[in-house]
Amino acid sequence: MTAPASPRQPLSWPSLLGRGLFFFALWLVLIGAAPKDWPVGLIAAAAATGASIPLWPPESRLSLTGLVRFVLRFLPQAMVAGFDVARRAFARRIAMKPGLVTYRASLRPGMAQGALCAVMSLQPGKLPVSCAASGDMRVHCLDSDASVTAELAADEAAFLRILPGDRSGA
Amino acid sequence: MMGLTDAFTLVCVVAGALLFLAGTVGLLRFPDTLSRLHALSKADNLGLGLIVLGLLPQQASPMGGVKLVCIWLLAQLSAATASQLIAGIAARRKPQA
Repeated sequence: MTAPASPRQPLSWPSLLGRGLFFFALWLVLIGAAPKDWPVGLIAAAAATGASIPLWPPESRLSLTGLVRFVLRFLPQAMVAGFDVARRAFARRIAMKPGLVTYRASLRPGMAQGALCAVMSLQPGKLPVSCAASGDMRVHCLDSDASVTAELAADEAAFLRILPGDRSGA
Repeated sequence: MMGLTDAFTLVCVVAGALLFLAGTVGLLRFPDTLSRLHALSKADNLGLGLIVLGLLPQQASPMGGVKLVCIWLLAQLSAATASQLIAGIAARRKPQA
Protein backbone atom coordinates (compact mmCIF):
# COMPACT_ATOMS: atom_id res chain seq x y z
CA MET A 1 0.00 0.00 0.00
CA THR A 2 1.51 3.32 -1.02
CA ALA A 3 0.66 6.54 0.75
CA PRO A 4 0.77 9.44 -1.71
CA ALA A 5 1.94 12.78 -0.36
CA SER A 6 -1.57 14.15 -0.32
CA PRO A 7 -2.42 17.55 1.16
CA ARG A 8 -3.88 17.47 4.63
CA GLN A 9 -7.52 16.53 4.43
CA PRO A 10 -10.09 17.14 7.14
CA LEU A 11 -11.15 14.16 9.16
CA SER A 12 -14.40 12.63 7.94
CA TRP A 13 -17.40 12.52 10.26
CA PRO A 14 -17.56 8.71 10.51
CA SER A 15 -13.94 8.47 11.59
CA LEU A 16 -14.42 11.33 14.08
CA LEU A 17 -17.43 9.48 15.48
CA GLY A 18 -15.39 6.28 15.65
CA ARG A 19 -12.68 8.02 17.63
CA GLY A 20 -15.26 9.57 19.96
CA LEU A 21 -16.86 6.17 20.61
CA PHE A 22 -13.44 4.66 21.29
CA PHE A 23 -12.58 7.36 23.84
CA PHE A 24 -16.00 7.04 25.48
CA ALA A 25 -15.55 3.26 25.72
CA LEU A 26 -12.13 3.81 27.31
CA TRP A 27 -13.71 6.21 29.78
CA LEU A 28 -16.43 3.70 30.65
CA VAL A 29 -13.79 1.02 31.29
CA LEU A 30 -11.77 3.30 33.56
CA ILE A 31 -14.58 5.03 35.49
CA GLY A 32 -17.49 2.59 35.38
CA ALA A 33 -20.76 2.37 33.51
CA ALA A 34 -23.13 4.21 35.93
CA PRO A 35 -25.47 6.32 33.73
CA LYS A 36 -25.32 9.32 36.08
CA ASP A 37 -21.60 9.70 35.23
CA TRP A 38 -22.16 9.62 31.48
CA PRO A 39 -22.35 13.41 30.90
CA VAL A 40 -18.81 13.82 32.25
CA GLY A 41 -17.65 10.91 30.13
CA LEU A 42 -19.21 12.36 27.00
CA ILE A 43 -17.48 15.71 27.61
CA ALA A 44 -14.17 13.91 28.23
CA ALA A 45 -14.59 11.83 25.05
CA ALA A 46 -15.38 14.96 23.02
CA ALA A 47 -12.32 16.73 24.41
CA ALA A 48 -10.12 13.71 23.66
CA THR A 49 -11.46 13.54 20.11
CA GLY A 50 -10.74 17.24 19.65
CA ALA A 51 -7.20 16.76 20.92
CA SER A 52 -6.70 13.76 18.65
CA ILE A 53 -7.30 15.81 15.48
CA PRO A 54 -3.96 17.66 15.58
CA LEU A 55 -2.13 14.86 17.41
CA TRP A 56 -3.21 12.04 15.12
CA PRO A 57 -3.88 13.44 11.64
CA PRO A 58 -6.10 11.39 9.32
CA GLU A 59 -3.32 10.59 6.86
CA SER A 60 -1.40 8.62 9.51
CA ARG A 61 -1.97 4.91 9.33
CA LEU A 62 -1.02 2.02 11.53
CA SER A 63 0.05 -1.36 10.29
CA LEU A 64 -1.59 -3.99 12.47
CA THR A 65 0.98 -6.70 11.75
CA GLY A 66 3.76 -4.19 12.37
CA LEU A 67 2.16 -3.29 15.68
CA VAL A 68 1.83 -6.93 16.75
CA ARG A 69 5.44 -7.66 15.83
CA PHE A 70 6.51 -4.53 17.67
CA VAL A 71 4.64 -5.47 20.85
CA LEU A 72 6.06 -9.01 20.73
CA ARG A 73 9.52 -7.48 20.54
CA PHE A 74 8.83 -4.73 23.05
CA LEU A 75 7.50 -6.83 25.95
CA PRO A 76 10.56 -9.09 26.41
CA GLN A 77 12.82 -6.06 25.97
CA ALA A 78 10.95 -4.15 28.68
CA MET A 79 11.40 -7.16 30.98
CA VAL A 80 15.12 -7.29 30.22
CA ALA A 81 15.30 -3.54 30.93
CA GLY A 82 13.61 -3.86 34.31
CA PHE A 83 15.69 -6.83 35.45
CA ASP A 84 18.87 -5.16 34.16
CA VAL A 85 18.23 -2.08 36.30
CA ALA A 86 17.29 -4.27 39.30
CA ARG A 87 20.52 -6.28 38.94
CA ARG A 88 22.60 -3.11 38.84
CA ALA A 89 20.73 -1.56 41.78
CA PHE A 90 21.22 -4.57 44.05
CA ALA A 91 24.84 -5.22 43.00
CA ARG A 92 27.43 -4.81 45.74
CA ARG A 93 29.37 -2.36 43.61
CA ILE A 94 27.53 -0.19 41.09
CA ALA A 95 29.13 -1.29 37.82
CA MET A 96 28.16 1.04 35.02
CA LYS A 97 29.75 3.43 32.60
CA PRO A 98 27.03 5.97 31.85
CA GLY A 99 27.45 8.20 28.84
CA LEU A 100 25.69 10.01 26.03
CA VAL A 101 25.59 8.53 22.53
CA THR A 102 24.45 10.43 19.45
CA TYR A 103 22.18 8.53 17.11
CA ARG A 104 20.87 9.74 13.77
CA ALA A 105 17.27 8.66 13.41
CA SER A 106 15.82 8.28 9.95
CA LEU A 107 12.42 9.27 11.26
CA ARG A 108 11.55 12.90 10.67
CA PRO A 109 11.06 15.04 13.77
CA GLY A 110 7.54 15.40 15.07
CA MET A 111 4.95 13.19 16.67
CA ALA A 112 6.37 9.96 15.29
CA GLN A 113 9.88 10.72 16.50
CA GLY A 114 8.54 11.76 19.88
CA ALA A 115 6.72 8.44 20.14
CA LEU A 116 9.90 6.61 19.13
CA CYS A 117 11.81 8.42 21.90
CA ALA A 118 9.15 7.47 24.43
CA VAL A 119 9.28 3.82 23.40
CA MET A 120 13.08 3.79 23.40
CA SER A 121 13.16 5.09 26.96
CA LEU A 122 11.55 1.80 28.05
CA GLN A 123 14.21 -0.32 26.32
CA PRO A 124 17.17 -1.78 28.23
CA GLY A 125 19.99 0.61 29.14
CA LYS A 126 18.86 3.50 26.95
CA LEU A 127 17.13 6.82 27.62
CA PRO A 128 16.71 9.42 24.85
CA VAL A 129 17.62 12.86 26.18
CA SER A 130 16.94 15.19 23.28
CA CYS A 131 15.72 15.03 19.72
CA ALA A 132 17.15 17.68 17.38
CA ALA A 133 15.28 18.91 14.31
CA SER A 134 17.92 17.28 12.10
CA GLY A 135 16.91 13.87 13.40
CA ASP A 136 19.93 13.57 15.70
CA MET A 137 19.00 12.04 19.02
CA ARG A 138 21.15 12.12 22.13
CA VAL A 139 20.65 8.91 24.05
CA HIS A 140 21.86 8.30 27.56
CA CYS A 141 23.20 4.79 28.09
CA LEU A 142 24.05 2.92 31.26
CA ASP A 143 26.85 1.15 29.39
CA SER A 144 28.31 3.47 26.81
CA ASP A 145 30.63 0.62 25.72
CA ALA A 146 27.81 -1.64 24.57
CA SER A 147 26.81 -1.76 20.91
CA VAL A 148 24.14 0.86 21.45
CA THR A 149 23.87 2.23 17.92
CA ALA A 150 23.01 -1.15 16.44
CA GLU A 151 20.36 -1.71 19.12
CA LEU A 152 18.88 1.73 18.51
CA ALA A 153 18.73 1.07 14.78
CA ALA A 154 16.95 -2.23 15.41
CA ASP A 155 14.48 -0.50 17.75
CA GLU A 156 13.77 2.14 15.15
CA ALA A 157 13.37 -0.41 12.35
CA ALA A 158 10.80 -2.29 14.42
CA PHE A 159 8.99 0.95 15.20
CA LEU A 160 8.93 2.02 11.54
CA ARG A 161 7.05 -1.15 10.63
CA ILE A 162 4.05 0.22 12.53
CA LEU A 163 3.94 3.30 10.31
CA PRO A 164 3.72 2.32 6.66
CA GLY A 165 4.66 5.20 4.41
CA ASP A 166 5.67 7.46 7.29
CA ARG A 167 9.41 7.47 6.67
CA SER A 168 11.71 10.40 6.32
CA GLY A 169 11.55 10.15 2.53
CA ALA A 170 14.51 12.48 2.10
CA MET B 1 -4.42 -25.10 50.39
CA MET B 2 -3.58 -22.41 47.87
CA GLY B 3 -4.93 -22.67 44.34
CA LEU B 4 -2.79 -22.34 41.26
CA THR B 5 -4.16 -18.90 40.41
CA ASP B 6 -3.47 -17.63 43.92
CA ALA B 7 0.10 -18.92 43.69
CA PHE B 8 0.51 -17.17 40.33
CA THR B 9 -0.81 -13.93 41.83
CA LEU B 10 1.49 -14.23 44.82
CA VAL B 11 4.61 -14.84 42.72
CA CYS B 12 3.84 -12.01 40.27
CA VAL B 13 2.92 -9.43 42.91
CA VAL B 14 5.96 -10.24 45.07
CA ALA B 15 8.23 -10.00 42.01
CA GLY B 16 6.58 -6.69 41.09
CA ALA B 17 7.08 -5.33 44.59
CA LEU B 18 10.75 -6.37 44.48
CA LEU B 19 11.17 -4.47 41.20
CA PHE B 20 9.64 -1.35 42.78
CA LEU B 21 12.16 -1.79 45.60
CA ALA B 22 14.94 -2.15 43.00
CA GLY B 23 13.82 1.06 41.30
CA THR B 24 13.96 2.91 44.61
CA VAL B 25 17.35 1.41 45.54
CA GLY B 26 18.63 2.44 42.09
CA LEU B 27 17.25 5.94 42.58
CA LEU B 28 19.29 6.21 45.77
CA ARG B 29 22.47 4.43 44.63
CA PHE B 30 22.99 5.31 40.96
CA PRO B 31 25.66 7.95 40.34
CA ASP B 32 23.89 10.71 38.36
CA THR B 33 20.48 12.12 37.50
CA LEU B 34 20.14 10.44 34.12
CA SER B 35 21.12 7.00 35.44
CA ARG B 36 18.60 7.43 38.25
CA LEU B 37 15.91 8.05 35.67
CA HIS B 38 16.74 4.67 34.12
CA ALA B 39 16.03 3.06 37.48
CA LEU B 40 12.67 4.76 37.81
CA SER B 41 11.37 4.44 34.27
CA LYS B 42 12.35 0.80 33.72
CA ALA B 43 12.19 -1.06 37.01
CA ASP B 44 8.94 0.56 38.12
CA ASN B 45 7.23 -0.08 34.79
CA LEU B 46 8.10 -3.76 34.89
CA GLY B 47 7.07 -3.89 38.54
CA LEU B 48 3.67 -2.41 37.75
CA GLY B 49 3.34 -4.76 34.77
CA LEU B 50 3.98 -7.80 36.98
CA ILE B 51 1.52 -6.61 39.63
CA VAL B 52 -1.14 -6.08 36.95
CA LEU B 53 -0.38 -9.52 35.49
CA GLY B 54 -0.66 -11.10 38.91
CA LEU B 55 -3.98 -9.40 39.67
CA LEU B 56 -5.60 -10.29 36.33
CA PRO B 57 -6.74 -13.82 37.37
CA GLN B 58 -8.33 -12.36 40.53
CA GLN B 59 -10.73 -10.15 38.57
CA ALA B 60 -14.40 -11.03 38.84
CA SER B 61 -15.29 -9.53 35.46
CA PRO B 62 -13.35 -9.08 32.21
CA MET B 63 -14.05 -5.34 32.54
CA GLY B 64 -11.84 -5.22 35.63
CA GLY B 65 -9.04 -6.90 33.70
CA VAL B 66 -9.32 -4.44 30.81
CA LYS B 67 -9.23 -1.61 33.34
CA LEU B 68 -6.03 -2.96 34.91
CA VAL B 69 -4.35 -3.27 31.52
CA CYS B 70 -5.46 0.28 30.64
CA ILE B 71 -3.95 1.56 33.88
CA TRP B 72 -0.68 -0.18 33.07
CA LEU B 73 -0.62 1.26 29.53
CA LEU B 74 -1.39 4.79 30.75
CA ALA B 75 1.31 4.51 33.43
CA GLN B 76 3.83 3.31 30.81
CA LEU B 77 2.97 6.23 28.59
CA SER B 78 3.24 8.83 31.33
CA ALA B 79 6.46 7.34 32.76
CA ALA B 80 8.12 7.25 29.35
CA THR B 81 7.10 10.82 28.54
CA ALA B 82 7.91 12.27 31.96
CA SER B 83 11.31 10.57 32.19
CA GLN B 84 12.24 12.00 28.80
CA LEU B 85 11.20 15.53 29.76
CA ILE B 86 13.18 15.33 33.00
CA ALA B 87 16.16 13.85 31.13
CA GLY B 88 16.09 16.75 28.63
CA ILE B 89 16.14 19.34 31.42
CA ALA B 90 18.84 17.49 33.39
CA ALA B 91 21.07 17.17 30.33
CA ARG B 92 20.67 20.84 29.45
CA ARG B 93 21.62 21.94 32.95
CA LYS B 94 24.69 19.75 33.13
CA PRO B 95 25.89 18.62 29.69
CA GLN B 96 28.49 16.20 31.10
CA ALA B 97 26.03 14.41 33.40
